[in-house]
Amino acid sequence: MRVSGQDAANVSTEVEERDLVDSVSVPAAFDDSGNENGISSGQLPPRDSVKVVGKATSVPCSHCGLPSPPPASVGDPTFCCNGCLGAYQLIHGWGLEDYYALRDRLGTGGVSAGDSAVNRAVQSGDDPFDELDQTELLGESAPRAVGGGLVASSCSVRGLHCGACAWLIERSVPLVPGWHSARVRMNDHSVELIYDPKRIRLSEIARWMARLGYRIGPLIDNARGAAAVSENRRLLVRIAMAAFCAMNAMWIAVALYAGHFSGISVGHANLFRLVGAGLGAAAVFGPGSLFIRGAIGALLTRTPHMDLPLALALVVGAVAGIVGAFTGYGEVFFDSITMLVFLLLVGRWVQFRQQRRAAESVHLLMQVSPRTAQLVGPDGAVRKIAVADLVVGDRIRVDAGQGIPADGTVVAGQTAVDRSLLTGESVPVEVVVGDVVEAGTANLQSPIDVKVSAAGVQSRVGRLMRLVEDAAANKAPVVQLADRVGGWFVTVVIILAFITAMIWWSSGPAIAVTHSVALLIVACPCALALATPLALAVGIGRAARRRIFVRGGDCFERLATPGTIWFDKTGTLTKGQLSVTHWPGDRDALALVAAIERGSAHPVAKGIVAYADQCNAEPFDATQIDQLTGGGISGVVNGRRVIVGKPAFAKTLGIDLMAIDDDVQRVAADGASPLIYAIDNEAPKVFGVADGLRDDASATVQSLRNLGWRVGILSGDHPLAVARVASSLKIESALALGDLSPEEKLRRIEAKDQAGPVVMVGDGVNDSAALAAADVGVAIRGGAETSLEAAPVFLADAALGGLVKLMLASRGTVRLIHRTFAVSLAYNLVAVALAMAGMVHPLTAALIMPASSLTVLTMILATGTFREGDQ
Amino acid sequence: MSVLYVALPAALLLGGAAMLACVVCIRRGQFDDLETPAVRMLIDERPLAERDRSNLPETETVTKLQ
Repeated sequence: MRVSGQDAANVSTEVEERDLVDSVSVPAAFDDSGNENGISSGQLPPRDSVKVVGKATSVPCSHCGLPSPPPASVGDPTFCCNGCLGAYQLIHGWGLEDYYALRDRLGTGGVSAGDSAVNRAVQSGDDPFDELDQTELLGESAPRAVGGGLVASSCSVRGLHCGACAWLIERSVPLVPGWHSARVRMNDHSVELIYDPKRIRLSEIARWMARLGYRIGPLIDNARGAAAVSENRRLLVRIAMAAFCAMNAMWIAVALYAGHFSGISVGHANLFRLVGAGLGAAAVFGPGSLFIRGAIGALLTRTPHMDLPLALALVVGAVAGIVGAFTGYGEVFFDSITMLVFLLLVGRWVQFRQQRRAAESVHLLMQVSPRTAQLVGPDGAVRKIAVADLVVGDRIRVDAGQGIPADGTVVAGQTAVDRSLLTGESVPVEVVVGDVVEAGTANLQSPIDVKVSAAGVQSRVGRLMRLVEDAAANKAPVVQLADRVGGWFVTVVIILAFITAMIWWSSGPAIAVTHSVALLIVACPCALALATPLALAVGIGRAARRRIFVRGGDCFERLATPGTIWFDKTGTLTKGQLSVTHWPGDRDALALVAAIERGSAHPVAKGIVAYADQCNAEPFDATQIDQLTGGGISGVVNGRRVIVGKPAFAKTLGIDLMAIDDDVQRVAADGASPLIYAIDNEAPKVFGVADGLRDDASATVQSLRNLGWRVGILSGDHPLAVARVASSLKIESALALGDLSPEEKLRRIEAKDQAGPVVMVGDGVNDSAALAAADVGVAIRGGAETSLEAAPVFLADAALGGLVKLMLASRGTVRLIHRTFAVSLAYNLVAVALAMAGMVHPLTAALIMPASSLTVLTMILATGTFREGDQ
Repeated sequence: MSVLYVALPAALLLGGAAMLACVVCIRRGQFDDLETPAVRMLIDERPLAERDRSNLPETETVTKLQ
């Protein structure tokens, strides 16, 4: 599948594409209003340099290829984040820089960004990998002894992109003492690690791999993977047997046809016929039984299916051939029959493999998440248990920065909780003792103890997941073009075969059977059968190369005609992260404010720190943190006293807000959340943070509208916030709905008043049911696992631009399928007419049948699904 | 030409044996991963000063021991 030269070319075009998308610099909606007065986003000079990041001047990161600020001098490496810098340095320090050359040749664009969060966590001692050392939490990945004092453990790996990743991981083994081998399996994204438990722990290996940008975790839910593996093997075995039969039947046929022209002894002819009959029967009733079973199923459920004419042609051909072989009358067509079985199986396998790849990459994302909870025992001791073992009434501790594993009531501590994935609210909610927290939300600020009230399927997320399953089950399956056309095609061909038999009956039963079987074979929708799966598989493969993972080819058919597309707001249209939109002071003040916020997981703090880093503000360490609540933070940095927080928080610390009230109002009117900072006894200043639009949101919405789609917003956030985003994207207010529960989103998607296909694009748990119910659900990278599970399309680039590409590619794919259908139907019409007239010699039939398949194949492979779309 | 009566079954037997070998390979999982082995041959061996390779079991032994 991978041709390196061609792929290398693809890499460069992909980089260009990405740059193009990035260069569409969207005037950020929250930036451009009313800033003539004291609060201006233009006052700070470095702000401009920040904007450069998103423009065409950005260059690909030397490690992961994402847009990065240009280096100081041309030729120097440049990085998008510290994680990538770390990974790059490590790879060079180990002398493994061949990795980059290999990666570029294999060409999958980028690799995973180095995980700077992991690096920080490792340095601060708060390690996400510690649980890898507890055997009872590892499940199937538990280490097993392999002799020589070594143990082996199979883990899932996130971040594998191409063979170069396997190369890097396997090459780094000898450089880590105690680690003996790693065998990467790209197909199921797992790695078998062999190491010396006395010298190194699994968590340490995980840490090394995290520094290279790969996350390993315990294998979970292997049943699905195992089923896919054995299905793959079954198909391959069938292909091997069919190939054997086909190739041997082929040379026997050549001998027979040669004998036809130059004379052959009766004994030899009979031998060839009998052996050919044996091979044909073996092919049809062995590997070909797949189609016969499909046909029987279609008959039982009375739904015309592609397998029906195929099975009929195969069985009738085989029976007629066997009769012919034994009686010496009529022709044997085993060469074409066996070849047909072989080609059809190959078509199925190609499609199966492509779809599985997409499913695999999504499933993988769900493998590496914490599935443990910290149980607080009656004596106050804390131990880790699997989330599945939690029962109602347990008391669990949730540290800052961790996800909350079950629904429950807070019994100790107070903190802010990020509910955006569950409800779509963009601003964290403060909780104190007695408040209810839900599984699927994240604890941001300080440790809390929670008394579990519902866990697993009983929790709100669990109930939502059931909604998702119901929605998916209720969805009407798309009747694919092949099956629609196949339906009446079958009927027509069977009727025609009967008519042919009747016409030629007067010339004797042998001739009648010969002609009608010839008709069944030339009319056999071999090209038809190959066209759809191949075009879809090619489309899926080309999409995957652009980091759009499509599970199931019917998405293409649904997306080809415009309809209604609904976007979630938080995390889909917006970045899902707060960023600073208004900054009144200078860089030094920013450095101090950032220093005090640096240790916090609160979204506001993250936004400020990111802004400070972008502006190259000098990093300080806070010397003292005094007060940390949901409303704000105060402390001492560099001997100066700094207070940052909401106006209400500042008030409690005795800061006079009267003088800056106007500024607060102005920031709020711009749609940002006003915040106050005060340094020492200087006058307090107001700055604003907001959840900014994704860079390509506006361009994407506009392109979708140009393609004829109706664009709307379904959000769980406050209607005002939704209205603001809608107006900046020019979405009419009737289509911008806020404050929706997951159930209401689902109802909106299922509403019957929408013409054409309904597409939902989302990232949160609260979108999952809607994603599953929509004709096509599109999940975005960085969202909740459940949304990935529910949606058949996954944008792995965390950018919306892929949507437009996907729509265009769908249109191209469907058009291609129609075109190949037209070609093969035209061929079939001519061939059928000739066959009915008794003019098709089986030799001719055997020659023109593969010719039509070849035409279709060439057409599909030569048409660029995406190139057409990019124009 | 009567040699055909021997040559034909012999050819089929040989072909059948190859097919069986292929099926066995598929069942053992040799065709599960079509990507990594193609790259693994590019991983050239470099001298490993730091560790003793001799006590590293081959992957085959690993599979047998399980």
